[in-house]
Amino acid sequence: MVLLLQYTLIFAAVLLLVALGGCFTEHSGVINIGLEGIMVMGALGGALVMRFLPYDASAATLATRFGMFGLVALASVAVGMLYSLLLAVASINFKADQTIVGTAMNLLGTAAATVIVKSMNTAANPDDHSSEIQYGGPKSAFISKFGTFELNWFVILAAVLLVVSIIVLYKTRFGLRLRACGEHPQAADSVGINVFKMRYAGVLISGFLGGLGGITYITVGVSLWKFENGVAGFGFLALAVMIFGAWDPIKIAGAAILFGLFRALGNVHAGIPFLASMEIPPAVYNMLPYIVSLIVLAFTSKKSRAPKAEGIPYDKGQR
Amino acid sequence: MKQRTPLLRKNGFQTILSSLLCIILGLLVGYLVLLVINAEGAWNAIIDVLKNFMKYPSGAARMKYLGSTLVKTAPLIMCSLSVLFAYKVGLFNIGAAGQYVIGAAAGLYCALMPGLPWYVCLLAAVAAGAISGAICGVLRAYCNVNVVISGIMLNWISLYATNLILKPGMDPTGKDTFRLVKEHKDSILPTLGLDKLFSNNQYVTIAIPIAIIVAIVIWIILDKTKFGYELKATGNNLNAAKYCGMKENRNIILTMVISGALAGLGAALFYLSDIEQWNVNSSSVPAMGFNGIAAAFLGGLNPIGAIFSSFFIQHITLGGGNVDLSHYCAQIADFISAVIIYLCGFVLFFKSVINRFLDKRDEKRIQREKAANAEATEKGGNK
Amino acid sequence: MSNEHYAIEMLHITKRFPGIVANDDITLQLKPGEIHALLGENGAGKSTLMSVLFGLYQPEEGIIKKDGVEVTIRNPNDATALHIGMVHQHFKLVECFSVLDNIILGIEPTKAGFLRKAEAREKVMALSEKYGLHVDPDALIEDITVGMQQRTEILKMLYRDNEILIFDEPTAVLTPQEIDELMEIMRGLAREGKSILFISHKLNEIMSVADRCSVLRKGKYIGTVEVANTTKEELSRMMVGRDVEFVVHKDPAQPTDVVLDVEDITVASKMHSNNAVKNVSFKVRRGEIVCIAGIDGNGQTELVYGLTGLEPLKSGKVIMNGEDITKAPIRKRSVMGMSHIPEDRHKHGLVLDYPLEYNLVLQRYFEPEFTKCGFLRKANIRSYAERLIEQYDVRSGQGPITMARSMSGGNQQKAIVAREIDKNPELLIAVQPTRGLDVGAIEYIHKQIVAHRDSGKAVLLVSLELEEVMSLSDRILVMYEGEIVGELDPKTTTVEELGLYMAGAKRMEVQ
Repeated sequence: MVLLLQYTLIFAAVLLLVALGGCFTEHSGVINIGLEGIMVMGALGGALVMRFLPYDASAATLATRFGMFGLVALASVAVGMLYSLLLAVASINFKADQTIVGTAMNLLGTAAATVIVKSMNTAANPDDHSSEIQYGGPKSAFISKFGTFELNWFVILAAVLLVVSIIVLYKTRFGLRLRACGEHPQAADSVGINVFKMRYAGVLISGFLGGLGGITYITVGVSLWKFENGVAGFGFLALAVMIFGAWDPIKIAGAAILFGLFRALGNVHAGIPFLASMEIPPAVYNMLPYIVSLIVLAFTSKKSRAPKAEGIPYDKGQR
Repeated sequence: MKQRTPLLRKNGFQTILSSLLCIILGLLVGYLVLLVINAEGAWNAIIDVLKNFMKYPSGAARMKYLGSTLVKTAPLIMCSLSVLFAYKVGLFNIGAAGQYVIGAAAGLYCALMPGLPWYVCLLAAVAAGAISGAICGVLRAYCNVNVVISGIMLNWISLYATNLILKPGMDPTGKDTFRLVKEHKDSILPTLGLDKLFSNNQYVTIAIPIAIIVAIVIWIILDKTKFGYELKATGNNLNAAKYCGMKENRNIILTMVISGALAGLGAALFYLSDIEQWNVNSSSVPAMGFNGIAAAFLGGLNPIGAIFSSFFIQHITLGGGNVDLSHYCAQIADFISAVIIYLCGFVLFFKSVINRFLDKRDEKRIQREKAANAEATEKGGNK
Repeated sequence: MSNEHYAIEMLHITKRFPGIVANDDITLQLKPGEIHALLGENGAGKSTLMSVLFGLYQPEEGIIKKDGVEVTIRNPNDATALHIGMVHQHFKLVECFSVLDNIILGIEPTKAGFLRKAEAREKVMALSEKYGLHVDPDALIEDITVGMQQRTEILKMLYRDNEILIFDEPTAVLTPQEIDELMEIMRGLAREGKSILFISHKLNEIMSVADRCSVLRKGKYIGTVEVANTTKEELSRMMVGRDVEFVVHKDPAQPTDVVLDVEDITVASKMHSNNAVKNVSFKVRRGEIVCIAGIDGNGQTELVYGLTGLEPLKSGKVIMNGEDITKAPIRKRSVMGMSHIPEDRHKHGLVLDYPLEYNLVLQRYFEPEFTKCGFLRKANIRSYAERLIEQYDVRSGQGPITMARSMSGGNQQKAIVAREIDKNPELLIAVQPTRGLDVGAIEYIHKQIVAHRDSGKAVLLVSLELEEVMSLSDRILVMYEGEIVGELDPKTTTVEELGLYMAGAKRMEVQ
């Protein structure tokens, strides 16, 4: 059961971070299908820091552990934000089709990460054609053990960012203006708000949170990552979490925990006697979160609370 | 009254031009990345990607590998048709990938378990894809679920379901399903002698002509039939379609059914040629469906264009395997096609740039003519 | 005159668009603390003038003065800086925000980026108290009445300390009680020294609330009058002019059987919670042109949507040629002989990315002549299109294969008229069939409509143009706020009288 809790928390943290990212973009009026790609790139950024930064797990103090954690997070955030610019430029400046661009970003994320890691590995060792990065040692920097329970620091970070997101969206001037741009950009413009700037902010925040979500995901239970595999659809699952959570951070957190639980079952079902005795094939557990989300969407989409102007490029001329 | 439109103004020509621009820019970006990885071999590497089967010196080998490229092109054509067909009604069928996967499950299941003949397997794949598409369509029409989201969910559900369904057909020596050629020859698509044309490439089957014929049929449906007329009207202007009494929901569902069937057929054409088997431990959705998106847009959303764009994408994807692996990796081709899809988002922008350029040129010409005329009249007046 | 002090002056403004002078030497002077009405028909140039004031357009000639000093206004932010505010006809409110959030949006009081709503709330409540604008600051916009939404818009202006308040057709969406309240609010604002520009074409309201009234007609400035020294008749005459400029030659109507029988129908509005069409009944017979006259936004659009099946009816019945079609699908109505020239040719009338020939068969493509075994009979479509193009003189770059998008507005409209009339419908519903067209095209379309009537068919015309109403119709039904308020005979009535009904100054019991 401890294991179930541990995995539920960590998967929920990933979904929460990424879904919050989607939530910010969509509140600014841009649809972000490309979260999956942003996650991969963010994960790559963090993994590279872990790979190349000298770190001795046995001699680590709290300060060095904290430093490692900070640098890994920073790298993921930076790469994620940089990558999200691809969406911002295309959809805000060039009014490109946001669905095509987002899809391309997903494919590009995995392809680019694979190319980068492989060429890096090959450069180091001409016989190494794998797309793996190992980070077993450095990863231990931000994992605290309480008995058998392992707490990943990113879970705490996710919780903190949830609170920050709620405050930013609902208690600050920035949040008010951001949401106005996603609901009624003409109204926002008429009171002197720069819609383009706000939408850029929305997309960049999704790069920030998506990048963090990516690095969190690849530190779940493994100490190496094969970048060819991307992030197994977690970016998409996060989109479903966001829709299910009605674009509201608190409800998104609830949805993330629910989906996280279903996802965690896939990892730990063998260890739970009751579930193990049912002998359900693991593929069923893998499918579960997606099936649940599809059913939930079928019942909740009729009255969508989506920001009204999302997906529509803002044209200053049309007032 | 009739006036000839200049070639550059023609929509079709602009589409081709934009697609070529996407390809060139995509290759350029790919080349730059290769340069960064290793400057020395970059040019050779990009040439290797573009050469694909042409790298073989002997004509026979070239034909053989051209055959293999075509075998892999056929399913891509189907996936791109699936995407473009739905797009004509304004739906973005990202679920083509999952419809393709579930089609593979149905087709291979029928081939491996009861060992049914190929045409039954083919129909099963088509039906499975169609049902998967129908789910998206019904959810969109009656529950207002965006097809992009439901499509993505179904992609993953299909993937794990397929692993589950095909597990009993796994060859215990590996992770893949059994080769059909060993036990279920009847389930393999017939070659009708086509293999002889491609240096006895046993995988060259009727899949290739089927794909081309289906592309033409789709072109006919879209261009020549009442149904196509309604679909395109609905996609272009939903309000006008309503105004003249077309049935929006029925058209949406029907479109998704056809779209799904096309992707399912694509899977059958691939897996029933036995060139590759299904890995029952797959943890990612095969790229075929996503590449279909690239091919659809690169082909200017035209079924005939899709044949060529599919071939090009498959050509560079396989060409990617030829790069010098001591420096580079095969995924450079995936990278290039992803860049190309990204650039396809800008096609409208490219077109407006072309038109703006033409407008400016025309304006200048008209002004020059005006000036010339004025001068002429002035001279005439002076006489 | 020169020592008179004005809050804002627009002097000799001229704004031209290709082919049209939207504002031709217009002067508008607003005194501090007055309510100044701006009166004019649709297309008289009011909205262009306001766009100039807000910097959306730069005028070719003329200047703007604020408190006697010349100013340049390049964009709406400049206008805001000069304390000019406007309540738009379509409110610019974020639906899922609270009233308070909407008011402060753009000039939020903050401390280190955090909103200080308590402070804002105090200021809003003080303003609301002072001007009698009762709102619940925490209610969401989507939950409150249109009247409250409008008060929110007014508070938005007051919160920004605006001195010049512009109301663009503010009463169009309000109930009578709400209108009374608004009038009281406007008087209160003026008493406090705000200058109000009140754009309207409702004469009763202008008479009751305005101090002065400037009238525009067809882009020209007609004059400014003191409301106390004028009458509704005088204003109506200034608004519509005296002469009907071109006359359609037609014989007297000879109506026979009833084709369309509308019984007590009500249609909901998409814009607000009021019903857009309220218990309307009328009949249209063979051989007559019945015209629904009225000012834009009085329920005509929704009435037509209800009749053609684009929107469901809330109650009532529609009967065509004796058959109840209240719930019939659009296609069935069309096949039964209903044609519809839609109000918005781009939204409903055309598939812009289809060639002309495909657009010409939009209502008939499924007939055996054009479809056989599911295949389009392109040769037939082509020859049919060529006939229509020839017969109705639709001009385009490449004939049948021209993309509809690339055609001129007039020819797009002609194509729709050709398509709908050539169906030889039992009932032709034509909504603003000549909007935005030049004189030649208008004349042509009018002739076609009369010819259709003369062939013994029924025509229901919806028009905002008084001239069109007067010259084309055999019977006029005036719509005002969703109801039919008068039935007039164009031969015996005058434009002035029609204007009075349209502006809600007069009404009669119909039927």
